[in-house]
Amino acid sequence: MRRLRGRTFIIGVAATLALTACGSSNTGSSASGGGLEKTTISVGVLAIGDVAGLYIANKKGYFKEEGLTVKPEILQSTQFAIPKLLSGALDVALGNYFTIISATEKTNDKFRFVADTYQAKSDVFDIVVPKDSPVQSVKDLKGKKISIAGLNSIAELAVSTTLRVSGLDPKKDVTYMPMAFPQAPAALKTGQIDAAWLTEPFLTGVQKDMGARKIADTMTGAMADFPIAGWTATEDWTKKYPKTMAAFQRAILKGQQAASGDRKAIENVLPDYTQIKPEVASVINLGAYPTSLSATRIQRVADLMLEYGYISKKIDVTPLLVPLPQ
Amino acid sequence: MIDRRVVVRGAAGAAVLLIAAELAGRSGLIDPVLLPPMSTVLAGAAGLLADPEFLTDLWGTVIVWATGLLTAIVIAVPLGVLLGTLPRAELAARPLVEFMRPIPSVALLPLVTLLIPYDHGVKITVIVYAAVWPVLINTMYGLRDVDPVAKETLRSFGFGRLAVLARVSVPSAAPFVLTGVRLAAATGLIVAISAELVAGGTDGIGAFMIRAGSGYRTDLILAATLWAGILGLLANMLLVRVQRWAFRWHTERTGA
Repeated sequence: MRRLRGRTFIIGVAATLALTACGSSNTGSSASGGGLEKTTISVGVLAIGDVAGLYIANKKGYFKEEGLTVKPEILQSTQFAIPKLLSGALDVALGNYFTIISATEKTNDKFRFVADTYQAKSDVFDIVVPKDSPVQSVKDLKGKKISIAGLNSIAELAVSTTLRVSGLDPKKDVTYMPMAFPQAPAALKTGQIDAAWLTEPFLTGVQKDMGARKIADTMTGAMADFPIAGWTATEDWTKKYPKTMAAFQRAILKGQQAASGDRKAIENVLPDYTQIKPEVASVINLGAYPTSLSATRIQRVADLMLEYGYISKKIDVTPLLVPLPQ
Repeated sequence: MIDRRVVVRGAAGAAVLLIAAELAGRSGLIDPVLLPPMSTVLAGAAGLLADPEFLTDLWGTVIVWATGLLTAIVIAVPLGVLLGTLPRAELAARPLVEFMRPIPSVALLPLVTLLIPYDHGVKITVIVYAAVWPVLINTMYGLRDVDPVAKETLRSFGFGRLAVLARVSVPSAAPFVLTGVRLAAATGLIVAISAELVAGGTDGIGAFMIRAGSGYRTDLILAATLWAGILGLLANMLLVRVQRWAFRWHTERTGA
């Protein structure tokens, strides 16, 4: 009996291993519509200012004019957009250039930018400290803890560049604390961190609520007007749904034009998809909403990433861009 | 039936906690910048009921949670009956179960997200994964604890194995199964909201919390948390009622 039991146990173990060793493959689904290959698309967004152009396009009916229905899906971060784009759960997603360019190096060149959406302007990404902090300038950050939205990200690139300009070594002189934006104000208040790298509406929030002081604008010098995020799809998707993509791009372009020309248009849609209070929406600093997908601009991201070792080889971004056909 | 005194006492307990939280906020013990006063949170929670977007989110969570729980029951109960009655099969399955059970289902999210191209499908899958275990284990142990005298009695009257299973084992294991379902319901809700918080999505209380967080609205995050708690409380009350109603005989026998 004992021998039999032992054997059964071994069979069980073997079955477990066999099951875990089994791989799974998945192929995307196909769909067809009238003129477009697909009339409803799922788009991954973040509940932040970057995607205002899309919501303006939706509200003003630009997608409808193209025969397209856009279903936005809230993402926690653009990192989660990558598996969702690969599985086909999302057709298009907001991708920050840093994350997607590093993913490009790791996934065999799978992603394409189909439109630019957000670009830094002054005081959109600042380093702040509490009111009573002894830190008066970037140099004083030596030995301090700074929260950034994520390691190996645009956040780290921006803060490290700022520190280097002031002669600090980001690897030795400071400690980075990866922390999502919503958690940072409380951490700053309790002293868990000495400084925070924040964007809106948190920047306005901490300055108003706890009198936090700005130490540096990180989007200056090498990072002035830095490209932040673009609409991203997989290469397969852009080839499979070219008409759907073009329809999306045309509508987004109109949305971007409305956003860049009229701040009120942005303030009107912010309360629709974020929980930013309207009175806060009217005072926060917003970035720029580019209306073209420019290789020269986006090349800056890849070049700066290479310079600071975030990617291992030079990446030419031109093949990654699929601009709206003229 | 639920005793009125129990309700009154429960409400008194909740009230004391809420008043303490409010006082902590008002007296400056907790910085109101970090934690909005309880009255603000409660007002926010009440206001959310009039917000159609939040109701869509609430409904989204309920849908994935209920679907996940039902799927888990459909998988785990027959499997538990099978493993509970066939000791050899149970022995063979044990390493698999012990290997898979401790894996936190939220940790499977990146993998599941890659495999399932459908937002609700991803969440339902991780909920099923977490909710299967309590039901499965309780079903198995319920079947193992069946009164052997009752089984032997039926067998000596010439009933076959299946008849004994249907007439004695399964009915007497049923209260254990329902206990497993109650545990699974709580776990399922936790996993549903955690998955929404980690992965986002088209709707869900967790997705609402992400939006509230991105908008620097701690008061709304807490208000949504309150509704998540109420949802769990309601589900548990419902299941306790079902249990009392369906297994009066069991309650009387064990005096529970």
